[in-house]
Amino acid sequence: MDGARSTEETKNGAFETLRSVHAAQRLLVRLVPNVRTATGGGSPLERLERELELPHVIDAEGAEDATLRARPVPGAPTPAIRAFLDGTQRSQVLGWIGALPLVYGTSGAVVRQRVERQLTTWGAPLVRHRIYAPLAYAPREELEGALGAHLEDTTRPAPDGSIPPPHPTLLLERATLAVSRDRERLELTLAERWCAERAHDPIMIDGGIGSSELVARSACAVGVVKSHRTLYADGDALGVVLALGRGERSSVIRIAPRGRSEVLSWYLRLRSTEGRDALWGLVRVEMCMADTPTITARADEISRWLLAECSPLAAPDPRWDRMAYGIRSAEEFLRATTN
Amino acid sequence: MTAPLGLVVATERTPNTPHQFQFWTAIDSPVGIGTIVRVDGRQPVDGHIPHVYGVVTEGFSYTDLASPLFDVLGHDGDPGQAAFAPTERAEVRLYVAAVLRHVPEEPLQPVPMGEVFLATEADVAIALRMDSYLREDANTGIPIGLYRSGGMDSAIYLDAEFLVGPEAAHLNITGVSGLATKTSAVEWLMASLFAHFPKSKGSVAAVCFNVKGPDLCFLDQPAELEESDRAMYETLGVPCAPFPDVRYFAPFKADNVSLNTLRSNEELLANVQPLTWGLREVLQFAEVLLNRDDVDAKADALIDFIKERVLDRDFEDRVLKQKHRVRSFADLEGWFKDLLSGMEDQGNEHWRTHHVATIRKVRNRLSNISTRCAGLVTNDGHTSDLPWGDFTDRAVYVVDVALAEEDAQDLIFARVVSKLREHLERRDLGVTHVVVFVDELNKYAPADGPDTYVRKMLLDIAERGRYLGLVLFSAQQFRSQVHRRVVGNAGTALYGRMDGDELATPGYAVLSAATRTKLATLSKGQLMVRHPHFTQPIFVSFPRPAVMRGRDGMERFPQAADVPLDVGVLRQLRRFEPSLTLAWVQDVIGLYEDEDVLRALHATLAHAPEKAGAYFKAQFRKIVGAAPAPAVARTPLRALPDDDPYAI
Repeated sequence: MDGARSTEETKNGAFETLRSVHAAQRLLVRLVPNVRTATGGGSPLERLERELELPHVIDAEGAEDATLRARPVPGAPTPAIRAFLDGTQRSQVLGWIGALPLVYGTSGAVVRQRVERQLTTWGAPLVRHRIYAPLAYAPREELEGALGAHLEDTTRPAPDGSIPPPHPTLLLERATLAVSRDRERLELTLAERWCAERAHDPIMIDGGIGSSELVARSACAVGVVKSHRTLYADGDALGVVLALGRGERSSVIRIAPRGRSEVLSWYLRLRSTEGRDALWGLVRVEMCMADTPTITARADEISRWLLAECSPLAAPDPRWDRMAYGIRSAEEFLRATTN
Repeated sequence: MTAPLGLVVATERTPNTPHQFQFWTAIDSPVGIGTIVRVDGRQPVDGHIPHVYGVVTEGFSYTDLASPLFDVLGHDGDPGQAAFAPTERAEVRLYVAAVLRHVPEEPLQPVPMGEVFLATEADVAIALRMDSYLREDANTGIPIGLYRSGGMDSAIYLDAEFLVGPEAAHLNITGVSGLATKTSAVEWLMASLFAHFPKSKGSVAAVCFNVKGPDLCFLDQPAELEESDRAMYETLGVPCAPFPDVRYFAPFKADNVSLNTLRSNEELLANVQPLTWGLREVLQFAEVLLNRDDVDAKADALIDFIKERVLDRDFEDRVLKQKHRVRSFADLEGWFKDLLSGMEDQGNEHWRTHHVATIRKVRNRLSNISTRCAGLVTNDGHTSDLPWGDFTDRAVYVVDVALAEEDAQDLIFARVVSKLREHLERRDLGVTHVVVFVDELNKYAPADGPDTYVRKMLLDIAERGRYLGLVLFSAQQFRSQVHRRVVGNAGTALYGRMDGDELATPGYAVLSAATRTKLATLSKGQLMVRHPHFTQPIFVSFPRPAVMRGRDGMERFPQAADVPLDVGVLRQLRRFEPSLTLAWVQDVIGLYEDEDVLRALHATLAHAPEKAGAYFKAQFRKIVGAAPAPAVARTPLRALPDDDPYAI
């Protein structure tokens, strides 16, 4: 649901009734029989341990050098990023029907625009409150009648028609993933909107840019990936990446993860690793595809932009070594407005 | 509709209460300590949208930094790099405001969440409850200054009912010395009071004790003001002019002919009168000058006896060699001499139950008074005093005691205030209200120290004066060191720039740290005001007084040098008859002793006749010039015999 609410949503009051977990609980208890509501607030499901994809390395094709090497970023850091895009999500158990969990999820995305060194919100933030329920095992009609479009099925059949078993933990994980997808969709919407309207103003996007063809082709979009469960370097190249010094970048590579558009990417060391592990201050940058002769200059330019964002520090966020202050500002904004 | 300035915020840890709330603003908002704001609630209560008025008492500013160390790290330990950071940290301006008023007043609830606006002029009037006494049909507002915020000036009014009485009364002002804030504020406020005191409430005059320097010596002379000051006068509706009716009173110097005041320049003497008292006036207040160690019950009884039975009446006694009529200190000394001599002659140790030692002690102490208060107390009994019973509406009477000895100051203060009280009780002073201005309250009404007569009088004014129309405007440097009941009874309190040590005393604990800081840095022309209608202190600006500053006055009208007797006499007489010349005075007084000249002068001044010269001359007894007597031929009673054998 967009920040600008639709007329229909306003009319039926669903938006208002889902503005908080307690409001959603009241609505469900009123409209759906046999719902047991959770008490005590409940921890965000994002904190629960989940089976995550194992860290791994992938060899990538070089786009700048035949062999991946370290390149000092020439010139002084230059601030040029005009905006920062990030999203947040929060899921928590709302209640149960029998043993089946109902999850309340909030996802949001915002662009924080920098004007005269001050960050302000560009346009309207996008915020969505939804309830994630295993409709294959729950009273579908009552839930759909009560929640309409604000309901998401966590037991949607796979392409082969199978549905997941009613394992409560599995259902919780599926709900959390669904909230993540909603958040990504909101981020994507805003990124596309920016690229369409402000094509000449660089925007830093938290994460990759390949999930949207439009964004992946936009020269203004700069994706910054902070997590490194997948490292696009193998063998000697991995050693080069992990040994990058402060202000150095790797050669540009070409990556095209499954289901995503092809983009150019490189690793950049933002901070010195002295006394720290090899991933400290390391980010992977993504930009749109470019002609080979221009790649080096463009990668250096964007690297200078990103090095300029090392200050101010995004502390106290634990990822402050890799996080730009503008990205933290976006997260803080959403935390303040959606919680 | 003006844009909101901020939004009310509250958390569980720092909730809003009925008397305090928090709000945040944009970084560049014109809010500061002392700013008055209005909160518009969102939800109606009993059908009314609540409005809350508050004054900012504290401000906070912080960023999203968890620790200063992160900023150091972010700039690699180099402060010079801070300027290159592409983004400024998110920063909050959070203010705490103390509630001035809730509208509606009931039910009294915590301040609601809502939008915060800068108070408009109308809001300021409501917030400070001025709407209750600025009604067209009953306006008792006395302008105290301008409240300034966000480019808007609002006139702030005190309520005359609470400044001059009878609801509350008295004003006390505190501030460090040297900034002229205290004196300036009082001069300004008196001008404002005279301009706005409602006729329906009666008449008002001021008696100011000038206790130091030339501060109050030029109240009738114009000041050079800046345009901004003139604009403030116009806004506040007060004439930008010196006081039109000022009269000065000062004792003589020890020579009894030159006035003991810094306003002794001949150009300004027209409204300067000597302040001299005789024995009768002094004996009424002997208690002021004679401390308890000096005067025990026995001595007190003798002084009472003298007051009741000896003073101003023919007194005979078998011990005395002659009949006495005591009118002056000189007469009293003669009476004592005669009495003690008579007792010695008769070998008596007691006279009418009074022991000779007591009599000697009282004689000693009373005789001393004319020495200790030389210039004020006359030996010849002549009196020149304030115009008791003839006070004029909106007139200022300045009693200049700055150069007088401490004893004389105490005596003057005690007697003037007592007379004011006496006449106000009888309602025959000439005016219905008198403002008495006393500076240096630290000295006259200290919190600790001996319980002096002067302090008792100040306490009496502070506690009971308002019922009589006797109002105390007092000033001091350290409020904490003034008697609590004196400052506590002052309905209105003004604070200029304050000393840090003073602000650290418990009396200021009710003020926020930010308010105390503002008080410590107030500039000239700024005051913090507490008034019964204002539930919180308010900061105002006031214009420079339209009267000449003491320092400027001393440059323009330098103090007259000490002069010989004849010149001094001429100066005094010229006030009444300007055509008199020095030659004429020298001719008149040439044959007489100084004592006779002074007696004649004092008699003339006391009667203030139109033809002062003739009156003065008439005071001298006839002295016939010396001339050799012609030789007279004397005839013997009987002729001697020619043959007288004993003839030589």
